[in-house]
Amino acid sequence: MSRLRKLKSVLGLAGIILVAILASPQASDGSNIFLQAGNLTDVLRQMSVIGIIALAMTYVILTAGIDLSVGSILAFATCVTGMIVTRPAAPGGRFTQAALAVGIAMAASALLGAANGAVISVFRIQPFIVTLASMIGVRGLAKWLTRNENIDIGFGSDAAASFANFVNQKAVVVGTFAALAVIFWIILDRTVFGRYVRAIGDNEKAGRYSGLPIRSVKIAVYTLSGLLTGIAGVIYAAENHQGNPNAGIAYELDAIAAVVIGGTSLMGGSGSIAGTIVGTLIIGVLTNILRLRNVDSNVEMMVKAVIIVLAVAIQKNEKAE
Amino acid sequence: MSCEPLILLEGVNKRYDGAKALADASFSVAEGEVHALIGENGAGKSTLSKIIAGAVIPDSASVRWRGEPVRIESPIAAQHLGIGIVFQELDLFPNLSIAENIVIGNVRMERRQWVNRKELGAFCQTYLEQAGLSESPWTRVRDLPIAHMQLVAIARALSFEARLILMDEPTSSLPDDAVERLFALIRRLRAGGVSIVYVSHKMKEIFEIADRITVLRDGATIGTRTASETNIDEIIAMMVGRELAAEYGAPADAYRETILSAQNITTRKLRNVSFELHRGEILGVAGLVGAGRSELGAALFGLDRIVSGSFRLEGSEIRPHSPSAAIGLGIGLLPEDRKLQGLMMQMSVLENSTMAVLGRLQRWGFLSRRKEAGLSAPVHRGMSLKAASNGAPVSSLSGGNQQKVLLAKWLLTDPRVLFLDDPTRGIDIGAKRDIYRIVRELAGQGKGILFVSSELPELLQCCHRILVMRDGHNMGIVDARAATQEQIMTLATSEVTAA
Amino acid sequence: MRFFLCALGIGFLLTGCGTNNGPRKKLVAFSQCNNSEPYRAAQNARMKKLFGAQPDVELAIADAQQDNSKQIAQIEAFIRQKPALLIVAPNERAPLTEVMGRAYKAGIPVICLERDIVEPNYTSYIRSDNREIGRMAGQYIVDYLKKKYGAPRGNIVQLRGLLGVEGEINRYEGAQEVLSKYPEIRTVHEAVADWIQAKARDRMTEALRAQPKIDVVYGHNDPMAVGAYLAAKDLGREKEMIFLGVDGLSGPGGGIEKVRDGILAATFVYPLCVDKAVEIGTRILREPNFRPEKVYTINSVMVTPENAASIEKAAE
Repeated sequence: MSRLRKLKSVLGLAGIILVAILASPQASDGSNIFLQAGNLTDVLRQMSVIGIIALAMTYVILTAGIDLSVGSILAFATCVTGMIVTRPAAPGGRFTQAALAVGIAMAASALLGAANGAVISVFRIQPFIVTLASMIGVRGLAKWLTRNENIDIGFGSDAAASFANFVNQKAVVVGTFAALAVIFWIILDRTVFGRYVRAIGDNEKAGRYSGLPIRSVKIAVYTLSGLLTGIAGVIYAAENHQGNPNAGIAYELDAIAAVVIGGTSLMGGSGSIAGTIVGTLIIGVLTNILRLRNVDSNVEMMVKAVIIVLAVAIQKNEKAE
Repeated sequence: MSCEPLILLEGVNKRYDGAKALADASFSVAEGEVHALIGENGAGKSTLSKIIAGAVIPDSASVRWRGEPVRIESPIAAQHLGIGIVFQELDLFPNLSIAENIVIGNVRMERRQWVNRKELGAFCQTYLEQAGLSESPWTRVRDLPIAHMQLVAIARALSFEARLILMDEPTSSLPDDAVERLFALIRRLRAGGVSIVYVSHKMKEIFEIADRITVLRDGATIGTRTASETNIDEIIAMMVGRELAAEYGAPADAYRETILSAQNITTRKLRNVSFELHRGEILGVAGLVGAGRSELGAALFGLDRIVSGSFRLEGSEIRPHSPSAAIGLGIGLLPEDRKLQGLMMQMSVLENSTMAVLGRLQRWGFLSRRKEAGLSAPVHRGMSLKAASNGAPVSSLSGGNQQKVLLAKWLLTDPRVLFLDDPTRGIDIGAKRDIYRIVRELAGQGKGILFVSSELPELLQCCHRILVMRDGHNMGIVDARAATQEQIMTLATSEVTAA
Repeated sequence: MRFFLCALGIGFLLTGCGTNNGPRKKLVAFSQCNNSEPYRAAQNARMKKLFGAQPDVELAIADAQQDNSKQIAQIEAFIRQKPALLIVAPNERAPLTEVMGRAYKAGIPVICLERDIVEPNYTSYIRSDNREIGRMAGQYIVDYLKKKYGAPRGNIVQLRGLLGVEGEINRYEGAQEVLSKYPEIRTVHEAVADWIQAKARDRMTEALRAQPKIDVVYGHNDPMAVGAYLAAKDLGREKEMIFLGVDGLSGPGGGIEKVRDGILAATFVYPLCVDKAVEIGTRILREPNFRPEKVYTINSVMVTPENAASIEKAAE
């Protein structure tokens, strides 16, 4: 059943790739621009940040929750990374400083996620409301930390610049996404925790009657969401050479869209990491081909809207048959 | 009864995912009769009634309403013809009032854009009275006991001025006194010329109320009998396609040893409940809806806080504060509502049955699928669970098989005490038989079983003793072999004397 | 399967809406940081008009919707298409530096429009000077108050844009440079309205409640100045003070029209920089030996009721 569903969204991706190949403009040497190795890796790199967030978002949505705070946590993580990595000469050298920046940004983001999860599960407030509040609050926190200013990471040879230049490499960005995708896939598919995630989203009450550790699973899921958003934030900071308190606005919606296109139900209980990866790729390839054809950005938004609804509608239909 | 049937269906075919649900079935209802539709789960009676209600479109069928060929393509179309529905799954809006539930989607009210409260109340009051509901029309449905929700659904059907009312398991959650009221209501409706299609498993009720009985098996119509000219054995034989083995005898004797004792348990709903459960004993729990039967399970399973009193499990006092703690102690609870409280509907048979024992199947957090399948296979076999595969979602199973999956979940935890809250509710005879057998086997293994049921004959047949409850009190424990239904009803409805 | 077919359908739609007909045109790619600001929309319109006059040029405009990552991705897609000219209006300095460097190194002529980046990864940078605009506004305030009171004194309110942005910093500090020399000109109220008219109206309402006497309101862009005007009008105090804006866009709803209507006393044109960009870009496209300068600075013009009509005309 779930295998079949995966196949459907993969078929959708195949369709969009085929369209991209057909619709791609040609380079002056007659080759297909879309298929150039450089372009394909561009696509992978460009979608990695959203893709990483969407992995953990898949878990959150599987538990029938939602995390609206990821855009703000991303901004927060870029700021923390930027602030630490641009400190003048820390003891232990450049590598230690960069590692410290990455570590602290991830830990602090995970902590914010854990706070979301704790409030949701202990006070039993709807995830939408809790994460809406932290979306606002964490954005404020990021702006307050930086006094509204971007923390630029230079281009020289100091710790900050070498951090950015290292993390910014395509291989590092795409590799991180790929590794996390594999890990999250395995956790969901092969572990007790993954089983609990789906079970709680399917029927929380039944989970309670079966003695499942609902509270800790929920806290863990939101912590993972924070952690992965932190990792995405580190990458964002390196890619953009700055800590930016205004980064990531509306990223939560992009991540949710990727998850939903991948066939995960907002009602919880059904969905997969494979689907989310496919969903992310569909958005990435679609965006790329629209840009290569220089389609007006307003039209781009309309096409995306159609694709989202179409993807979900068709998967639903096929399930019902 | 006129010669022309009110509704006549012939050559009805319907397939789901390639599997046939109905194969050339036929069915007809005369005006002013109560016509029972009966069959094991999966026999096609739900599909057939949904087709009549317009909720399912058949692949092919010829339908005549008062002799005229019609197509019932939607619930609204059914309503226009005069078909009202009281479904098994209560399709009410819990947050709306009784009155709003009655008029929502009512073709007689929908043309009117503005309806004042007084008018609406008056409109509903008539039907509420007919249905025997005394609540104010402005009560929110979710504040009603389940039994009364059913009556709201009936009142809604009445408000359509329906000529044909479909009732799917209308008594599955009703206490006996409410059943009597419902039957009186059905008889009144019949006298008024309304036809009733009565879908049920309960043989006794069917023979009490139905004029004719149509039996379905494997999607086909086996035959229609006039109730006064047939008997239970014939109908059961038609349903199962073979003679049903003789009734069970009494269960084997229980051990003398006490496994669980309750001393003066008081919770928000229970009042000083005490009892002793022996190893190998099946202790029935009887009582009307709201008597505190499920709450007894809630207290034992750590769902309700125990205000005073204590449980002793094999001699030592226990205080489970959560279901997981209770499970750790060796207590299992099969909840009353299997869809709401029991099953993960989108997950597979295997995943559901191992839900409570995943801790044993893991190493470093990773699940061993081999162990999982190995552990559950003998249990599934032992209860003759019928599923396409271990990987099939439980939502694709019949009610009886779903209940078996839940039972398997608890068997895998190897509990010392198992609380079964109405385990046979809404499942077919074959599955009931399997569940009785399993419960006996469990008792035979020395477990203590608490068995809640709304059907007294079932309790009398399955249990050693029966604890009768009313308003959270233990009204007495009777010996199942010696007791009668009347005796239990008397206890269940008598006044509670001093606490 | 159906998903697949639908995708194909969209594909054919896409292939239909391109402009791949006829001989290959010179592609001019313009990466705009945010279409939804009026100033940016004016830039786009002007650029379309000017390049539209050159039939062998195909202009592609991409909108980054104020998102650095989006703009990087868009420029990457442009680089793949090897345009004859790339014009970038960077959303922010640091994030765009690296990707523009890649385009520049790939041999694509790059014009950096209006906003700077960290390293000179461009063929030419066409800028205007916000600090100079700030100074002009400051000087206007001083002159006005001298005329009003015979001496440079009075109360002013400043409405600031999004904090931390270059334009905001320099429009503020340029004015401070001038005003700080006159201790009797006091900024009695400062509020941040993020460039947005509706916010400015709210912040100005608060200022009006707190300040019994205001002589000049300096909004760091025209919409904020107009918002302040509306707030004052609500309280019947719009005659008590004058309103200054910055940007001076032409066309309906623009700052020049507001000056002509007597709502703003003056505005300072923040040059679109597009005319210069198109001029330099065209020469890069057509004159192989043309060596553009690294930086061009476009001066601002003060718009007053007297010259509003003629400036509007020139911009068309």
